[in-house]
Formats: sequence, C-alpha cells, structure tokens
Amino acid sequence: MTFSLSFNGTEHRRPSRLGRVLEDRLPYLIVAPAILVLLLVGLFPLIYSLIVSFQRITMTDNDTSFAGLLNYAELFRDTRLWASLGHTAIITAIALPLELLIGFLMAQLFIDRMPGRQLFVALLVLPTVISPIVAGATWRLLFDVRFGPIGEILSFFAGEPIRILWTVNPAYVYPAIIICEVWQWSPFMFLLLLAALSNVDQSQLEAAEIDGASYLRVLRAIILPAIAPVIAVACLIRGLDLVRIFDIIWALTEGGPGSMTETISLYTYVQGFSQFETSYTAAISFLVIALLTLITTLVLKRMEIAR
Amino acid sequence: MADVKLTGVHKYYGNVHAVRGLDLTISDGEFAVLVGPSGCGKSTLLRTIAGLEDPDDGTIAIGGAIVNDLRPRERNIAMVFQNYALYPYLTVNENIAFGLRARKTPEIEIRKRVSEAAEMLGIGNLLQRYPRQLSGGQRQRVAIGRAIVRKADLFLFDEPLSNLDAQLRDEMRTEIKRLHHEITTTMIYVTHDQVEAMTLADRIVLLRDGKIEQQGAPLELFERPRTGFVAGFLGSPSINLIPATLTAMNGGLSVVFGSGESLTVPPAKATALSSVAGREVIVGIRPQHFGRAGDGPLRDGVVPYSAVADLIQPTGTRTFTTIKIGGVDAVAELQAHDVQSHGERIQLAIDLNRMVLIDPATGSVIA
Repeated sequence: MTFSLSFNGTEHRRPSRLGRVLEDRLPYLIVAPAILVLLLVGLFPLIYSLIVSFQRITMTDNDTSFAGLLNYAELFRDTRLWASLGHTAIITAIALPLELLIGFLMAQLFIDRMPGRQLFVALLVLPTVISPIVAGATWRLLFDVRFGPIGEILSFFAGEPIRILWTVNPAYVYPAIIICEVWQWSPFMFLLLLAALSNVDQSQLEAAEIDGASYLRVLRAIILPAIAPVIAVACLIRGLDLVRIFDIIWALTEGGPGSMTETISLYTYVQGFSQFETSYTAAISFLVIALLTLITTLVLKRMEIAR
Repeated sequence: MADVKLTGVHKYYGNVHAVRGLDLTISDGEFAVLVGPSGCGKSTLLRTIAGLEDPDDGTIAIGGAIVNDLRPRERNIAMVFQNYALYPYLTVNENIAFGLRARKTPEIEIRKRVSEAAEMLGIGNLLQRYPRQLSGGQRQRVAIGRAIVRKADLFLFDEPLSNLDAQLRDEMRTEIKRLHHEITTTMIYVTHDQVEAMTLADRIVLLRDGKIEQQGAPLELFERPRTGFVAGFLGSPSINLIPATLTAMNGGLSVVFGSGESLTVPPAKATALSSVAGREVIVGIRPQHFGRAGDGPLRDGVVPYSAVADLIQPTGTRTFTTIKIGGVDAVAELQAHDVQSHGERIQLAIDLNRMVLIDPATGSVIA
C-alpha cells in the first residue's frame, strides 16, 4: 500500500501495530459493504432461483420436492414458449437494423456544424428519456381507432375515413410495436453513432475527397471500419434490450391478439404471475440467461477477432 | 502540370482574418515553399488552394482555370498531410491505389503505377502491410506514393516532415527534393521550418499575419531581406539584432551602440545613408559574418572587434559562441577550434559589408 493514514492531519506518525494492520486491510474494508450488497441482491437470488428451477414449487400448493430436470424437459414440449421466442426474434430482427439505419442517417445529418445543432440533438434524444411504459401508453392513444391522431392523419391524406385497429388487427400489431420501439430507441443509436462519427479522422476524409472517392467508397473504406466497434457495442446493448422487450408490448397489445405478440418476457411474466408456475418460470429464466450469454459471447468473440 | 495564380484571396475564421488579400503566382513546375510562424495563414492558404476551405474573397486559378467553385476532387491535385492521413483499414497497396480506383482507372494501369511509385520510394516490400505496421518514415513514403500515382497537376504538402525525428527528416527532405527533380510537377509546400524552406524551395514565400512579407529565391531572401522580420526568420542561429544610432564620425559613418562602442559602416553602404545620420537603427549581423581575426590586413568593410567568449556551443563543424556587442548578447559562428574556454578574450573580425540596418519604427530594412 502506498498511502498512509495521517491522524492529526499535520504529520505522519509511526503507525502502531493495529494501525499497520488497518492500513494493509483498509481498501478491502472499504469495498466490503458494496461486495456484500452485490452478493445479497445479485448472486443469492440467482443461485436460489437455480435451486427453485429444480423443484416443484407453484404458488397454489405446498409441494417443494425436487423434480430433477423435469421443468427443463418441459421447456422443449412447450410450443407457446418457442412461439414467444420466435416473436421476440422477429421484433429484434426488424427493429434492430431499422434503429441502426435511422440512427446512422440522423447522425450523418447532424455531423456538420449548424446553428441550433445542440438544441436539435437534445430534442431528438427526448424519446429515450421517457419510460417505455409511458411511450407504449402514449402510442396506444395515438393509434386509437376512435380518437387517435394517426387515423385522422391517414384519413386526411387518403381522402376517405381510414379505420385501422392497430393494436388488434393481426396485420398491424407488429408494425405498431415496431414503430413505437423504433421511435423510442433510434435516438439512442443516433447519439452513439454521432459521437463515433465525429471521431472519424477528418484528414482521412479530406484525403479521400482529394483522391476523388465517392461517398459509398468513403463509407466502406474509412467510415464503417472506424465506427464498427461502436456499432457492435450499440447493437449488443439494443439487442439485449430487445430480447427483454416488455413494457411497450404490454401497453400496446398485452401480447395479443391471442398470444400473437407474446415475447419471451411477457410469457415468463404470464407463467410466473398469472399461472403461478414458480419453478417452471425459473427454468424459463435460465433458458433465457443461457441464450443471452451465448449471443453476447459470440458477439464479443467476433469483436475480438476484428480487433 | 499547371501554374497557380491567387488574386486578392481573403479568408476569415469567425473574427480571425487568417488570409488578408493575398496575391501570388506560382509558375509551372516550380517548387514553392510557404513558410512563416504558426498562425501566419500558411496552412489555411494551402487548404484554400486544395479546396478544403472556401476563400471569402478573391480567385484561385490552377492551370489558367478559375477553380473557386470546383470541389477538391475536381481540381486534379494531390496532397500529403501532416499526419499522413493514410487509410488505416487498407493495405499500403490499396492506400496507394485508392485514388486510382476512385477514378475508375483500369486494373492493369493501377498495378503498373503502384509498383512504379513503390519502386521509386523503396516501399515495394511493404505493399501488403497495414499503416499501423509501418514506421513514421515508411508511412510518410506511402503518403507520398499515394500522391504521385495520381499524376496530378499540382502537389500540395502540409508540413509533411514535422512528425518525423531529426535524422529521418533530413533523409525525407532530400527525397522530396529528388522527387521534384524526377517528376517536375508544380509543388506547394508548407512548413514552419526555415531550414526546410531554404533547402527545398525554388522560391520561398514568407508569410506573416496573413500577408506575404517577402518572396523570392532562398538566397535572395537570406542575403537581401526587405524587413527585420525576414532577416530574423531565416538563418540559423538567427541574425543578431542590436539597437544603435547612425552617427557621422571621422568623415565617415558609424553605428554607435548604447554601451558607447561603435563600428564603422563600410564606405560602400555609407554613401547611401549619409542623409539619415543621427537616426536610431537596429543593426543586423548574421553569426556567419564573424570570424577569428588573422594576422594580415583586413578586407574593406571588415572591422576588428575584441570580445569575451561567454557561452560556447560546439556543433562539431562550427562553434556558436555568445559574446557581447554594444552590451547586447550576440552569437558568432566560429571555426570549431577558434575558441577554447568560457571567459576567453578573442579577437574577431566582423564583415559589415553584409550587415543590414533596420528602421526600428517600421521594421523595414534601410540598407
């Protein structure tokens, strides 16, 4: 340890034996409470739910006997589970590239200095500040077939009344969810990519301009390789968030019509808190954790290779 | 191949007037060096010629055609940047070929030109490497290679050697000079280093505060500076500037220093100055115009001076010795063994035929 305790603040006294011990252990003592809290709220529930996933606990009776791998075997027979994973994949596969593309285009638009730039950036980032459940509820009102302005606007341009049941009609529920999701989170991509783009070496871009390269060539040879690490991290963050998507869908469709827009998070919630299948829900959670760990590891590995 | 003609060019950055109404003509095949202290507008001017900045007023013509409204890519120029600006995710080969590919040059032609350029610059064995795997000097060669394959009308260099260490800088300077002999394209080179300016230029354009202070051949600027600024900027160690008064004395003219010492102005210079006797001047004497006095008679205009050596800085070939002239520190460049120790009294001969007298009020050279 290179620091020492100074008790009266004026000079360093030769520390006593106790003082020396304290001095050596002090860093550990200081971080100990934080570690303890972390273990308590992080590791303990994780291990406990792992145990629960091997039991027969439901909230409707007292059976806590161990069931071995029964719950995990059940996972593979549960078609609604795999359907919900499919829904999650669809939403992620469409929303993530859209957010990336829109975020990138916005960033390109705002990369040049212009008057009022900071104000516009601040306004554009506003959606990400709103709680997703509020965003979902707001969009539900916007989509509303009787009072919603979106129907009004479409009717105005079409010249005839247009009534779309955005949150009920099977053809429109996914577009509705994705519009809301993309509206809320494209600004996040925009912000990260704006920062990444402003770090692209200006003289490389100037050299390419003098060399006579087209925008696409500059994009491919200079800009994209330079911002690739940021794109990867942004996609990872948004991708993980999208796999866990809940609030927006809960507010818009509650997973309906039927279970058509039920994602894995919604299904887990339904199993746990309306079917009361506690142990089975724990097993689902571990399936999700395993999947996300796999994806994250693969992405990080690819980034490592790229570097 | 092209000449460059700037007429009345102004450039502002907000409230800063970086280039102030500049006229400049650089003829076809010339190697022009824009030099000056930092903030003098030399880089701005180069970037304006490249089209990376738009002038606020005035015209820029390359090869007789006004290019103000052309984008950089349409001006057929090549540029070497201070930080090299190599494309980090492309190999050396692709870096050099980048401009040719962008202009849809046939593949066979690209290969031929890249290997020619690589041959010329001695980087043929590096073509498959990436810029981060190269040393500073190698990167600099790649940057130059990228410029020469384009066969542009005009070459622009923006302080290309300032990121290199001293030895490499000398080496690359020689190569750039040789390059100009081989490809004879018009070149405009920006530097703050007066040695680079002197050694490379066909013509030095010395800038100060966004205006041209003086332009001409290197030796012309060195020997006949028009202002005290030019005299002080060129030459290393820089010229000694000592305040004095021009005084008529013994039928001739002398410069009298604050300490009471005086030096006789050579008759050749004195005749032109007789009307301004009594005036305050700054006497400029280059360190190279000092020498150890020999036994024989002194030439016309060479005066004896006895001084005490203060600081002694041997460089191997020459020894820079600090002495006092008229109470002011001055540097004399002597032969390696002319002076031995601190505090030694030495008999010097100062060649005043080539001294400059500067008007302290205007900064311009009187004689």
